[in-house]
Amino acid sequence: MISFVLADLRRLWLGAFVLVLLVALATALGVAVTVQERALRLGSARAADRFDLVVGAAGSETQLVLSSVFLQPSPLPLMPGAVLAKLAADPRVAWAAPVGFGDSFMGYPIIGTTTALVKGTTTGFAEGGLFAHEGEAIVGAAVHLPLGAEIKPMHGTAETGGETHTEIAYRVVGRVKPTGTPWDRAILVPVQAVWHIHGLGHDDHGDHDDDHHAGGEDGDHAADAAHLPAHADGAVAGHDEAGHDADHHEGDHHEAGEHGADDHDEHDHDGDGHHHGHIDPDGALNEVFTDQAPGLPAILVKPKTIADAYRLRQEYRTAGTLAVFPGEVLTRLYGTLGDAKMVLSAVAAGSQALVAAALLLVSVIHVTQRRRQIGALRAFGAPRLAVFGIVWSELFVLVLIGIALGFGGGYLAARLIGDAFTRQTGVILPVEFAAEDGGMALILLAIGMVFAAIPALMAYRQSPAQALRS
Amino acid sequence: MLTLSIENLVVRVPDLQQPVLVIDRLDVAAGQHLAVTGGSGSGKSTLLNILSGLERVREGRVLWNASDIAPLSESGRDRWRARNVGLVMQDFHLFPGLTALANVLLPARLAGAADAAILARAHDLLARVGLSRPDQRIETMSRGEMQRVAIARALLRRPGVIIADEPTASLDVESGAAVGDLLLEVAAETRSTLIVASHDPRLVERLDRRLSLAAGRIVADNAASEVAA
Repeated sequence: MISFVLADLRRLWLGAFVLVLLVALATALGVAVTVQERALRLGSARAADRFDLVVGAAGSETQLVLSSVFLQPSPLPLMPGAVLAKLAADPRVAWAAPVGFGDSFMGYPIIGTTTALVKGTTTGFAEGGLFAHEGEAIVGAAVHLPLGAEIKPMHGTAETGGETHTEIAYRVVGRVKPTGTPWDRAILVPVQAVWHIHGLGHDDHGDHDDDHHAGGEDGDHAADAAHLPAHADGAVAGHDEAGHDADHHEGDHHEAGEHGADDHDEHDHDGDGHHHGHIDPDGALNEVFTDQAPGLPAILVKPKTIADAYRLRQEYRTAGTLAVFPGEVLTRLYGTLGDAKMVLSAVAAGSQALVAAALLLVSVIHVTQRRRQIGALRAFGAPRLAVFGIVWSELFVLVLIGIALGFGGGYLAARLIGDAFTRQTGVILPVEFAAEDGGMALILLAIGMVFAAIPALMAYRQSPAQALRS
Repeated sequence: MLTLSIENLVVRVPDLQQPVLVIDRLDVAAGQHLAVTGGSGSGKSTLLNILSGLERVREGRVLWNASDIAPLSESGRDRWRARNVGLVMQDFHLFPGLTALANVLLPARLAGAADAAILARAHDLLARVGLSRPDQRIETMSRGEMQRVAIARALLRRPGVIIADEPTASLDVESGAAVGDLLLEVAAETRSTLIVASHDPRLVERLDRRLSLAAGRIVADNAASEVAA
């Protein structure tokens, strides 16, 4: 029977190929949607896993997490630098690290932060070590820059474009081991350097650069500059103040102005009012933050205990600040993702139903066209069950191959999409099959078995004499 | 060898008031070679379908070796046919993509009866019908060769009766004659009853007995004539 089935499939290879292709495409669509959605959930959850609590200015929780954990450039309102000082001194906090962003280099975001964050969120260095001076940078595992490379920060992102600080260069001194998070494709520099570049912050290293610190700038300038790290594609790139949220703008300027005015470094103004500061590449790090620290878009906090985490989140949910567990925000996002998955799954199921209908139609036509052959088989003594088996197995083999190819193709598509996503965001998407996929395969196979039985039953019930006469 | 007795056979088809075949009585001795002739629509093919169990007998009795096949179910008739009937048809009904040997063996394989002895017999039969390349694909053969393969297939399970429906009709004169010779020879060798429906006068006149049908009725039977004479 097998040789007969194979000979038949060889003879009708084009039709068989098209059937397999249809089944494979419909299956692949469903598999890709399912596997990709799961990978996105797992990948994003794992990426956020290292960050227990994020504190930012009052605003969108989702935006705060996307910007601070997933490093997606977007304008965030600022909170007073005093929040950082308070958190750093809190006995319930293991470490609290500021996150300053807005600049980039070769498409990689430059993140101003502290050594505490690097130590607390990475598993060590693949090469080199931590930054120890203001002009030093470390890179994520996916950043294609060698140790010793110079980094000239550009305002904003590569997409939005912006002015490059040609007079300032960081030097790469370390590469952290892969973390599977967007931080793998980030360049980390001391936050004080980010502040200084933008003409903010106190002069913590009094042994040099005194001539840079004139101070006493007007509050408006300081406020404007205080926004710089927080406005990746607006204020930083072009200082498009019109793009700021009015409420935030007002409040934040006020807050940042208070803190920034006194500490404002001597700076240059470019044509559109952008503030240029300077860094001392050899300046020592100062990671002791006071109430005078410039305004900040986000602070990543590592509470000592779970209870502390909940208390801190409660305490920092005020009119001016917002504290969130990234996992909590992601859960809400997954709800939206789930809706999208439902729509895509419905589309996939619809396409599978269409393919099933087409398959049924084609197979019924095929059996009708082969009536004489089937009649002859019966006439020469083939049992009815054997005829049923031939028709059923021919169709089921095609369905089986289609489903197998569909699973392979869907997985491959999800991997390709996942890889592209990882290249773009740094989030590693764990594209893998789960036990429930086996269930889906079994359901598809069961449907295939039932569908293949319909034309087989037609062949089974066919009168050989009538078939031979046709 | 099988003897055939038909009693009060009436075959009707839907939408036709008149029966398409009516045979009050017909007896065929075991090993006899019977030709069935008649024009188109005379009932030849219907008779062969009834005799081979392809069509169910609803009225009358068809007894092979005194055993009535009328009460058999569809599957029962399939099994009976596989054991007792060797069918040869005008259109060969061979299966492309398979070799000559695979075609001969196919019904036996599908019935789960293809053991080593059957395999050896298939080789012998192909040699007997004059085919030296059992592994040749069927679609590369001439029509005469194809009908030889079909005859080998019909003989594989040592049928008691060989039923051939226009076995030479789609062949040229030379091939037709050769196939006719072959049918008569193998039927004699296996002592099978042979029933052939044919328009081919050269083949018909070589058979022992000739039955002529018209409008579903026997209008001539040389055996009856001989008895009458």
